[in-house]
Amino acid sequence: MSVIKVKNLSKTFKVKLKEKGLKGSLKSLVKPKYKIIKAVKDISFEVEKGEMIAFIGPNGAGKSTSIKMMTGILFPDKGSIDILGLDPSKDRKKLAYEIGCVFGQKEQLWTHLTPYDNFKFFGAIYDIPNSIVEKKIKELNELFELDEFINTPVRNLSLGQRIRCEIVASLIHEPKVLFLDEPTIGLDPVVKENIRSLIKRMNKEYKTTVVLTSHDVGDIEKLCKRVIIVNKGQIVLDDTMENLKYHYLNKKIVEAKMNKEVNLDDEEGITILKDKGYNLKIEVDTKKKSVSDAIKLLNPDNIVDINITNIPLEDIISDIYKDGDE
Amino acid sequence: MKKYLYIYKTKLMTDLQYTFDLLLGFVGYIIHIFIFLNLWQYIYSNPKELINGYSMSQMIWYVIITEILWTCLSGRAFSKDVSNDVKSGNIAYNINKPYNYVEYALFNHLGGATIRFILLTIIGLTIGFVFLNGFPPLGILQILAVLLSSFLATIISIFLIMSLSLISFFIEDASPFYWIYSKFILVVGTIFPIEFFPEVIKPFIKFSPIYAVSYGPAKLFVDFNMTDFISIMISQVAYLIISFIICHLIYKKGVKKLNVNGG
Repeated sequence: MSVIKVKNLSKTFKVKLKEKGLKGSLKSLVKPKYKIIKAVKDISFEVEKGEMIAFIGPNGAGKSTSIKMMTGILFPDKGSIDILGLDPSKDRKKLAYEIGCVFGQKEQLWTHLTPYDNFKFFGAIYDIPNSIVEKKIKELNELFELDEFINTPVRNLSLGQRIRCEIVASLIHEPKVLFLDEPTIGLDPVVKENIRSLIKRMNKEYKTTVVLTSHDVGDIEKLCKRVIIVNKGQIVLDDTMENLKYHYLNKKIVEAKMNKEVNLDDEEGITILKDKGYNLKIEVDTKKKSVSDAIKLLNPDNIVDINITNIPLEDIISDIYKDGDE
Repeated sequence: MKKYLYIYKTKLMTDLQYTFDLLLGFVGYIIHIFIFLNLWQYIYSNPKELINGYSMSQMIWYVIITEILWTCLSGRAFSKDVSNDVKSGNIAYNINKPYNYVEYALFNHLGGATIRFILLTIIGLTIGFVFLNGFPPLGILQILAVLLSSFLATIISIFLIMSLSLISFFIEDASPFYWIYSKFILVVGTIFPIEFFPEVIKPFIKFSPIYAVSYGPAKLFVDFNMTDFISIMISQVAYLIISFIICHLIYKKGVKKLNVNGG
């Protein structure tokens, strides 16, 4: 069953243009000029219940605009959105009870209060009876391991602790869909890992549908089975993570340390990424040339050290971003 | 409604942690009162004399009360908060919550205003009692009427200031509107009662919000009478409805054209 249905969604912004200098400022005062920016162009997709999808794209691609339309913050110009049977632009308040949002770069907690008081506050604004809130807080406290700091004012928490509390605050009302906008931004690798596993656990426990945006490939790789990439307001890829990797798996990176120089120019299926005499980094297209053939070309006798790896997902994604730019 | 009361309570809880800082902020209030205390003592050569129907102690009490109402509002900070919410796009994160932003801001601000009101009332009444030798003669019911009128005045002020600040949805900087409003209130509403103004202007002031947000409660405190009470109540209820509608209309219109940049 689809919980999110987006159909032919479009949104344009009118941005005021100003010419250079004082003269331009005066001119725009009398006769303002506007530029129309198409932030989102004809986007369609569906998300199933319990799915965790990555909704990613470069800065300015239109992903935040799309999420803001899905959460009822912005009104779409064209197209329709259906979240759990509700239209965000019409049933904003009703929808608010069904969805949760975490924006890594925005604080929604009261900084002078403790997480516990904050959770009670969120319980109250979502009209949840006190006894149920208490139970929920206890449950989430265990799941997200907040015991240590649940009674410390939010302003004294570390960023990692705060984000955990932000996520819990957005889960108090048991949302069916959770929007996570860069939840791990600015966190150290250990805390990131911890947050990821907590999100995973939450998804498993509550079957919450998660829409995640992040610039951190680790988040996407570890959490999501499906990825939607937007660029310039359009979907450039909507596929499973496995497929995404598989398509690019026919390329391998071979890094070799040699004791003799080799010349691989003009070899079919081999792209030289770096050539510093004895140190060589090449990309092998395994459709055209097998890795073993490539190694033979290098001559195994001359290899001091070798390392064969897949293309990092980060590169795959930035390749897709670049494709969209062309 | 329950959730708005909870918002109020939460703000109260937060601000109670900073009561001492608040007290420091009231130094300005105390200085104002002392200036007017001296000014009116100087102007009234004989304390028993009446100017425009007000005795000296009534004039000073009037300023004490209007200044309490104005200072407890902390309007400039409130206006800045609302404008910033709009300009920074922070308002977006309030839109997808199951409450109305206007009511949220109202109850949130009321939470802070309550603490300031209580503290300022203690300070103001103490100063008045000490320097004017006692309070104006008011019974329990009359005190309740003054409190009710003060409460309504505060809510109307919050709606009016919020309306002016929400203009940020449409123009770059809404602070000049607030500036004009605050100066208007200060000169016409806080320092002098309506009776001090020329006959030509009086009806305008009487029908302006100043009558509801500033003059009303202070007048009832210094010189309670039923006729004034009724006309002040009518004005306050009317302005409550008007300001409520205006504020919601601006907000509704504004949200529709909201552009949230970046991120």
